[in-house]
Amino acid sequence: MKKSTKRFLALLMAAVMLLAMTACGGKKDPAPEEPSGTEEPAAPEAPAGSKELTVYTALPEAEVIYYFNKFEEETGIKVNYIRLSAGEMLTRVEAEKENPQATLMFGGSTDNYIAAVDKGLLEAYQSPALSNTPETYLDPTGTWNPIYVGCIAFACNKDWFAEKGLDYPASWEDLLKPEFKGEVIMAHPATSGTAYTVLSTLVQLKGDDQVWDYLGKLNNNIAQYTKSGSAAPNAVAMGEAAIALTFSHDGLQPTAEGYPIELSFPADGTGYEVGAVALIKGGKAEEQENAKKFIDWICSEQGQGCYAENQSFRVPTNTKAPVADGLVTLDQVEVIDYDAVWAASVKTDYCEQFEAKIASAPKE
Amino acid sequence: MANTAAAGGKSTARTKKLNETKMILRQPLLLVAVILTILLLLLFVIYPLVKILIFSLTDADGAFSLANLAEILTTSRYLAVFGRTMLLGVIVAVIATFIGYIFAYTITRTNVPCKKFLKTIATLPILSPPFILSLSIIFLFGKQGFITKTLLGITGNNVYGMGSLIVVQVMSFFPIAYLTLSGILSSIDASVEDAACNMGASRWHTFWTVTFPLSLPGIISGCLLVFIQSLEDFSNPATIGGEYSTLSIEVYQIITGSYDMQKGSVLALLLLLPAVTAYLFNKYWVSKKSFVTVTGKPTQARKLIDEGHIKWPLFAFCMVVAAVILLFYGTVIFGSFVRTWGYDYSLTLDQYRKALAYGWDSLKNSMVLGLISAVIGGLLGMIIAYITAKRNYYGKRFIEISSVLMFAVPGTVLGISYILAFNTKPLVLTGTAVILVIVFTFRNMPVAIESGTTTLLQIDNSIEEASTILGADTGYSFRRITLPMLRNAFFSGIVYAFTKSITAVSAVIFLVSARWNLVTSKIYSLFDQAKYSQAAAFVTMLVIILLVFIGLFNGIINLLLAPRSKVPQVKTQKTEGTK
Repeated sequence: MKKSTKRFLALLMAAVMLLAMTACGGKKDPAPEEPSGTEEPAAPEAPAGSKELTVYTALPEAEVIYYFNKFEEETGIKVNYIRLSAGEMLTRVEAEKENPQATLMFGGSTDNYIAAVDKGLLEAYQSPALSNTPETYLDPTGTWNPIYVGCIAFACNKDWFAEKGLDYPASWEDLLKPEFKGEVIMAHPATSGTAYTVLSTLVQLKGDDQVWDYLGKLNNNIAQYTKSGSAAPNAVAMGEAAIALTFSHDGLQPTAEGYPIELSFPADGTGYEVGAVALIKGGKAEEQENAKKFIDWICSEQGQGCYAENQSFRVPTNTKAPVADGLVTLDQVEVIDYDAVWAASVKTDYCEQFEAKIASAPKE
Repeated sequence: MANTAAAGGKSTARTKKLNETKMILRQPLLLVAVILTILLLLLFVIYPLVKILIFSLTDADGAFSLANLAEILTTSRYLAVFGRTMLLGVIVAVIATFIGYIFAYTITRTNVPCKKFLKTIATLPILSPPFILSLSIIFLFGKQGFITKTLLGITGNNVYGMGSLIVVQVMSFFPIAYLTLSGILSSIDASVEDAACNMGASRWHTFWTVTFPLSLPGIISGCLLVFIQSLEDFSNPATIGGEYSTLSIEVYQIITGSYDMQKGSVLALLLLLPAVTAYLFNKYWVSKKSFVTVTGKPTQARKLIDEGHIKWPLFAFCMVVAAVILLFYGTVIFGSFVRTWGYDYSLTLDQYRKALAYGWDSLKNSMVLGLISAVIGGLLGMIIAYITAKRNYYGKRFIEISSVLMFAVPGTVLGISYILAFNTKPLVLTGTAVILVIVFTFRNMPVAIESGTTTLLQIDNSIEEASTILGADTGYSFRRITLPMLRNAFFSGIVYAFTKSITAVSAVIFLVSARWNLVTSKIYSLFDQAKYSQAAAFVTMLVIILLVFIGLFNGIINLLLAPRSKVPQVKTQKTEGTK
């Protein structure tokens, strides 16, 4: 009798210990291979056998699957990826910097990449294929590679405008019209790279003196400042707002599901984001060559040709790459000479001003 | 007969503690359990939290700095957000516990129809990723909402804000209160209430003087658990909160928007304070009272309340709540069968096909890891409840407090603290399934501990003492006496842990790997792409699978822990009397 009890309790204990054991076992597995991976980043003699690549990506999943499959077809390299928002991607890379778990950061605006360079998280690599990319998009520090461009647009709910019989806004001033009260939506610049690009565009467009005055007026028409960048166009898709201030490719994303969204652009000038790809410092040594192959591929015309095939609404930075039909390219829209590096350097300051002067101010 | 808290002078208490510590040293099994528990808690709770504490109190160069803390404490905005978070937590805790109590009381005490249905309804909301309810409320009551616009013709209804947040959080979290309370209500000895009735007390009087005081520990625990859940909830405020920002949102915002992990961590640690305070208050307050009702003396099965004027209003209340929940879930299910939720209502099965093709692997991962961690967490939770509830020794407080800490940490911070702790030697776990199992285990275990403890507090020591006197050792008493009584607690702990693991969002964003991706991070990214119908299809499948699993769990636990007839005298027979 006693024995059976002991056995039962031992079983209980064993279950608990199993947890401890697996935990300890887990450590022993990766530990031995570690020394090769951590201390000497970017060892050029990668084992030739490695046919894998680990990527953190900020692009929508439906899109990246297409690119990764295409890349695998051409090179035989299998891409393992995790999809995160751009800010989450950067956070994760920073938290893992002592022992990076991925080799490549792919997609998301240069804002994140500039911050990552500042924090020393990236390994410099410039693809030879960048020769077809206009100089304005290039990284002055030579670390990350620009791969697509998208400009700020007004994503409008087609049905709402049809129902009210109104025209799409065609300038920043149009957004202030009283009929758009509570119908304009954008993310909060402090949480969303998209919204910060909007803010920074307006600062560069209107100057420090005028911009807060303008935003104060715009605030009266704003439905809410959403937490994530994608929440703004999604709210327009659901009819919770009529106009989202967002990047063109994000604004059109819900149309793939059938939601009624069309774009218009401010005639008085708009800003744009450049999306990038870069090597993570200290990433897996055996994947370095594969990662460079991927960067070269996505900077090439074949790689960026995928944007059009996949209807991703992204504008290629490679001038040789084909452009999707009906896609708005930067030469058709009035774009300002957007200074991304300056914008990234003053981000904290402007976000704090925005919070103090606009977001927490009462609406009329 | 109830002589648990013999509070004498300070010195006697200390002697008692010392004696009990010595006693534990003489019982090898118990000693092993205590030591092992302490080691596990040190490694998987304290270590990551210390890591992030150190991290949050250093500046970019690694030097010690209180600048972030000072900045947060002097920014009026953060203080305002702190206040709003607490307010929301208190309101949600009170309402959710109230609803949970009525459900638990109606199901355990009255003779109403459709009990199975009510039970299912009361656990349904913990079965889905919470932001799906936020989505439902937008499609039902938003500017284009089905009820507001189509049925009532109201245009421009603003659904974002505190009101919606309360509705959604209450709906998401009242099951926790229900699970805690139904466990405790069904384990109150029927004879206590019967005695009151026999002595002429009215039902109302019996309730207020007997049932309610006896269930107070459960009420407090329920409130506490809901309060903490509300504090650390991320997805609902993010989806439906509008401008009503909460601390967990701010933390996320600072970390992923301003790229300032240090400052975000400091703010997150502030969240721990109220949670821990609430917990300690609960412990102190509850332990002052004696709640022994399961005495080991024979009792008969409970007689259920059959008076119409009591049971029908309770039944009606439950049905109204059930109707609201069904409305919300019905919206989700409906949304999963249409082409474009909220826009194109042509019926299709496409969403299910797409969802399966897109996320079958991650769904499997979630199931397997959730199951493993739920079982481990359930067992560990029962062990912790057993070694802390009735004993007092050196190290007990540590176990009590550290075992609930992870419950209160905002998910974002939990994820980061685990990366900081387990991404470098001596213990590298990132990228493995183990780290996910561990996070789930320690994050979701507190519900098992809480319900286990509240149940144990009701059991008179004399039962176990009798067993010991009759020659059984601790292990035997635990298995044959305590464990069967803990069945309900164990069950609710496992169900909670399992469903929470499968529906966790913010904690796992930073811990999933390409090999071990989870279904919630997939659903999360569907939301980002406005693929709402596909997300709805996913959630519908998830709920169905979970319901099946819970049914199986229930069966297995009943089978394993059913009281055996071999030792009929010293036994329990009185846990439930639904018939």
